Amino acid sequence: MYPFGKGAARLMPYLLLSIPVLLYLLLGFGPSMVTVLFSFTNASGVPGQTWNFVGFENYMTFFTSSDSGDRIASIGRSLYFAVAVVVIQNAVGLFMAVIINKKLKGDVFYRAVFFLPVVLGVTVSGLIWQLIANPLGGPAQAMMNFFGTSSNFFGDYDIAFELIIFVQIWMYMGYSMTIFLAGLQSIPNDLYEAGYMDGASGWKAFKNITFPMIAPSFTVNMLLSIIGALQTFDIIYVLTGGKFNTTTLAFDVYATAFGSGTSDYGLASAVAMIQFLFVFTVSMIALYYLRRREVEM
Amino acid sequence: MLKKSFSLLLVTALIVVLAACGKGSGAAQEGNKKVTLKIIHWQQENINNYIKEFNKKFEEKYPDVQVEYTTVPADSTYDQLMQTRMNAGSSGDADIIPLKFSFVGAPQEWSKGAADPMWKQWIDGGLIADLSDQAFIKNYNPADVKNAMTYKDKVYGVNMGKVALTGLFYNKEIFEKYNLAVPTTWDELVHVMKVLKDNGVEPIGFGGKDVWPINLAVQGLQASIHDDQLAYIKGLWTGKTKLTDPVQLEVLEKTQILMNNAIGGFMGIDYGTLPSLFATGRVAMIADGTWDATTIQTANPEMKFGYFPIPGSNDPAKNKNLAGKYDMTWMVLEKSPNKDYAIKWLEMLSEKQNYTDFVNAAGFLPTQPDVKISSEFVNEIQPSLENFKLSWDQLFINRKNVGQYIKDASVHAEFLTPAGPLKTPLELAQKSQADWDAAAPK
Repeated sequence: MYPFGKGAARLMPYLLLSIPVLLYLLLGFGPSMVTVLFSFTNASGVPGQTWNFVGFENYMTFFTSSDSGDRIASIGRSLYFAVAVVVIQNAVGLFMAVIINKKLKGDVFYRAVFFLPVVLGVTVSGLIWQLIANPLGGPAQAMMNFFGTSSNFFGDYDIAFELIIFVQIWMYMGYSMTIFLAGLQSIPNDLYEAGYMDGASGWKAFKNITFPMIAPSFTVNMLLSIIGALQTFDIIYVLTGGKFNTTTLAFDVYATAFGSGTSDYGLASAVAMIQFLFVFTVSMIALYYLRRREVEM
Repeated sequence: MLKKSFSLLLVTALIVVLAACGKGSGAAQEGNKKVTLKIIHWQQENINNYIKEFNKKFEEKYPDVQVEYTTVPADSTYDQLMQTRMNAGSSGDADIIPLKFSFVGAPQEWSKGAADPMWKQWIDGGLIADLSDQAFIKNYNPADVKNAMTYKDKVYGVNMGKVALTGLFYNKEIFEKYNLAVPTTWDELVHVMKVLKDNGVEPIGFGGKDVWPINLAVQGLQASIHDDQLAYIKGLWTGKTKLTDPVQLEVLEKTQILMNNAIGGFMGIDYGTLPSLFATGRVAMIADGTWDATTIQTANPEMKFGYFPIPGSNDPAKNKNLAGKYDMTWMVLEKSPNKDYAIKWLEMLSEKQNYTDFVNAAGFLPTQPDVKISSEFVNEIQPSLENFKLSWDQLFINRKNVGQYIKDASVHAEFLTPAGPLKTPLELAQKSQADWDAAAPK
């Protein structure tokens, strides 16, 4: 009943928990609150400079200044990115999970291969694709040349953003696959046997048994990829640095805070707040529908 | 009982870990009483190599100092590093920080509402040490001290030299092979590009992936096409001139012609590979700054190459001079715990012999008098430097929160075909002017 004994020793769990709580308050929650505070000031981020409260001025700047058009375009791009990544990444992940779950030979090998990009990390993945797309002797360019054409790949306004989406999916499809695989392996075989007796096999079995049974992993995957996609900054930084119309809302936060020559922490904090509200709203709506679907099933 | 002692052990372990994180490498510092002098810099191979060598010499002279020299990519990565180290303040995360240029871009009386550049905010905030009374400042040309190292009548930095950036490197052997002379007018440049193309040689290489290297060529055209760049920039603020004026349209049109003659896929080539692209003879010319001459030479020691100002105009007199900037300005942090050593470091670097070695390694034009330049390259371009002008990016002052067509360097030829989506220079000029107008202070 008392895993930590009686008397004062009972406080031990609270003591242990208080350490991560303190760390979180200090390093996570605290700075977040400062961001909220900063978003209502004209703080420049330079030590020694005074700063004042300016109310909603930074938020007004976001929506009404000369570059608001670019900023609103970056919100649109974030949404486009999220939809493309969520749909394709999970479809591919589920497809691969179902195939690997068939207990074919060497499934461990396939699992490892598809999961590898997750282990590599963003910088290495970015580098790999940079090298592939290198216009001076990269394999992708060589292939284009073979067909008598050439491309700028990550330096091309028309396709740079789509290429980033592709790399993002390539990086994280193994992650989705693993979660789906865990869900698939928890389905008892009896269900399929019973279904087989009732004449359900192939697509029917997938639709009526597999898919409903993996609803929890579906929810987890959808939420993780929605939040992940809306917050994507790293891969854009590595591949294009936000150039060639590849800036998303999350990248805009970075560009405003650390951009060229001047720094405006007030405005950057406001952009971060807008980013937070945006991600929060979208994921809450998604969560509502996903949970409702789980219950219905 | 076992559980209790285990949990106690766990807590103790955690506390030890936390405590260790708190005071850094306390144990290590006790071992050797060395002072760590922290210097940050951007990556530029020839210069980095020299500074590393110099640091060794410095450590020999001051045995109790250990120099920690950190380099990161020259793009926004460096800007960000500079900013975070500067903000760390007295915690001693950096002692010496170089600016990528000199003290330019401060708002003028004609540029109402322009943003303060970072360096100005830092100096105003009392973060940068005042070097006015240091004896070694006298080693430098008084004119250069005034132009590049002084702000509000006080010296806050040590500028290491000037660079020109508005020219093209050209491969002398390729030029000889096709009987081409160095072009002195725009028409001649067009002819050179045509001859090269007809013979299956790629005329020009750009580091398009990083975008700003394209702007070097734009600035070359601007320096030769505009009669007075500063008057034009002032005019933009007062409304006398427009980004759609014929003179600026001419700049964009000619940039587009240069890009149309560039090697295929140039928008995928990053700045770092540009010197090797040129040194291996895959392109006949590249748009780059004079600071890369030593990098090219290292990449191919056999190579014969030269540098000429981009002739934007058909009047050779207007094309004669190179434009550029004051490069690298070292600043000492006022609150640095090792301020004395930081100043000693600058003092030693400013000594005649060390400075001469630096300038020759960097390929800079000296800001100290009577420096012997060993570089054949620098001596060769000397005539184009006699009336050295400041380039567009050193003169331009931007408005706050401007849109993407006028942001940063203010001319964005990368939006033009073949690099970008816009077909005509006029379209780009109109969008730029619209962004500029929209950002006007209300």
